[in-house]
Amino acid sequence: MFLNRKEGLALALPAAFFTLLFFLVPVGILLSVAFQSDTGWSLNGYFEFFSKPLNRAVFWRTLKLGLLVAGASAIIGYAAAFCIVSLPPKSRGRIFGLVVLPLMISPVARTYAWIVILGRTGIVNDVIVGLGLSDTPIRLLFTETAVFIGLLQLFLPLMIISLVSAMENIPRDVIPAARVLGASWLQVFLRVILPLTKEGLVIGGTLVFTGALTAYITPAILGGSKVLMLETLLYQKVNVSNDFVSASVIAMILIVMSFTANIVLKRIASVRR
Amino acid sequence: MTKTLALAASTLALMAASANAQETLTISVYSFAQDAYKEALYDPFEEICGCELVIETGNSVERMAKIEANAADPVIDMAVISSHDALSLAQKGLLQPLDTSKLSNFDRLYPAAQNPIGDNMAVGYTFYASSIVYRSDLVEIDSWGDLLGPELAGNVSLPNITGTQGPLTLMMLDKAMGGDGQDFSGVISRIGESADDIVTFYSRSSELAQLMNQEEVIAAPVGRFAWSRFRSSPLPFAWAEPAEGQAGGMNVMLMTANNGNEELAYKLMDYWLSAEVQTRIANALIDSPANMDVVVSDEVADNLTYGADLINSLNIMDPAAIIANRDAWVEQWNTEVIQ
Repeated sequence: MFLNRKEGLALALPAAFFTLLFFLVPVGILLSVAFQSDTGWSLNGYFEFFSKPLNRAVFWRTLKLGLLVAGASAIIGYAAAFCIVSLPPKSRGRIFGLVVLPLMISPVARTYAWIVILGRTGIVNDVIVGLGLSDTPIRLLFTETAVFIGLLQLFLPLMIISLVSAMENIPRDVIPAARVLGASWLQVFLRVILPLTKEGLVIGGTLVFTGALTAYITPAILGGSKVLMLETLLYQKVNVSNDFVSASVIAMILIVMSFTANIVLKRIASVRR
Repeated sequence: MTKTLALAASTLALMAASANAQETLTISVYSFAQDAYKEALYDPFEEICGCELVIETGNSVERMAKIEANAADPVIDMAVISSHDALSLAQKGLLQPLDTSKLSNFDRLYPAAQNPIGDNMAVGYTFYASSIVYRSDLVEIDSWGDLLGPELAGNVSLPNITGTQGPLTLMMLDKAMGGDGQDFSGVISRIGESADDIVTFYSRSSELAQLMNQEEVIAAPVGRFAWSRFRSSPLPFAWAEPAEGQAGGMNVMLMTANNGNEELAYKLMDYWLSAEVQTRIANALIDSPANMDVVVSDEVADNLTYGADLINSLNIMDPAAIIANRDAWVEQWNTEVIQ
């Protein structure tokens, strides 16, 4: 536009060099460990990892919670985003600010707040016992439910932000037009809103799913050692058993899961076109 | 100008010379309570030896990995670590036997601390008891077996197997179940059966203190070094004296092989083991003394693992048994308890 090709490349060089030297090379070195054994290059690390029942259980739990969190955040996110874009611009800014606010608070502080809320003497159990739903406080902490709630709260803003940006680009008249032509709200959502916001859904879905896979603090604090996820298992491998091969294998699995999620979501989005 | 330059050059040369003249000793320690150690140990020692101490901290795994990675040209001269971690370093040939004649305070140590891992590869500098901390207004604890009893179901936490407290708890539970405290496969299976009744398997005593102060957990095994966290709580916590006795552990000092800095390392070890320094560290409520000559007030003693009677009564686990069996325990634990 303003530059010729050579000048453009020259300007991109520092950033490219930085990324190569301080990100791609170290990550490559780290991950190459996952393909090595005593005899040379091999996939033994992966076979060994998946041969252990605990590791398989942790893998499936991580995948399941990632999908559940991404799915739930899409459902809640669409409702919230639709509400936000329907507001007049001034209130929209305020509400959007409130959505972004949790992102400015440390995940450690946010997660500790959940310990207080979900604990036996916390507000959730007060309500459950108060309403007579249970005689004694129920165990919420250190369960998959607690990890799910913590992750959903952590990543929901990312989904809402992506969906709000996508919805703001929907031409103003198409929804009233669909309604006037007799479409139900479900049809409006499935045939108008969803196709027009799928880019936002792909971006939001990828961010939430990868975020949920790779979050450490939330599963560590709310799940503990009884609800291990791949990320907490990785930490154990490095910091407790000094087992860098397994840790690299886990890192590689997480990277593959993230890329696969992005590819699958893009594929789904393009099928609907 | 020339004069100024000459002056500057000679000053620099002098500074370089004095820097060279000052010896340095690099030690690897646990990362907690470093301010208190600086006051009680590091600063006074630097003054006495006219040398510089370089302090490296971290968790045991990181610190052991560093010693192993630099075996050919040691960067750490002396380290303090748990007795079983020390034994695992010794088995890899990374340590040198200690010449105890160079430690004037050696004879003043409790016998259990004098040669805890064999071959004089280490000396103990602190003991800790492990027992059960519990809410005295809600339960009564008479035995380690109570941890898995119906009264505590859903309200108890156990230490994770990967930490130091984990094997100690297994040993005492095994004793409570009538075992010999050696083979833990039965007790791990028993914990697996009760896994749903256990709130969580904690990794750090600070984590446990938080859970107990929030009333998530009302009883759990813990090291005496963490007792002050519970004593200061408004909730009524008590320290159990179970029928099977208390478990115990020891942290030790060691010297890396061929570090070339042995003389200075012995000086620090001897100073650290002296009644003077051990008293200061005990009064700061950091480490319980291994030197028999240390005398502390009753209040301080109550926070520590102190006194010959208590120390001699501890069920101390054989470090060799921990190293030989840990992988198998973790494997069984992961299959039967965590999963």
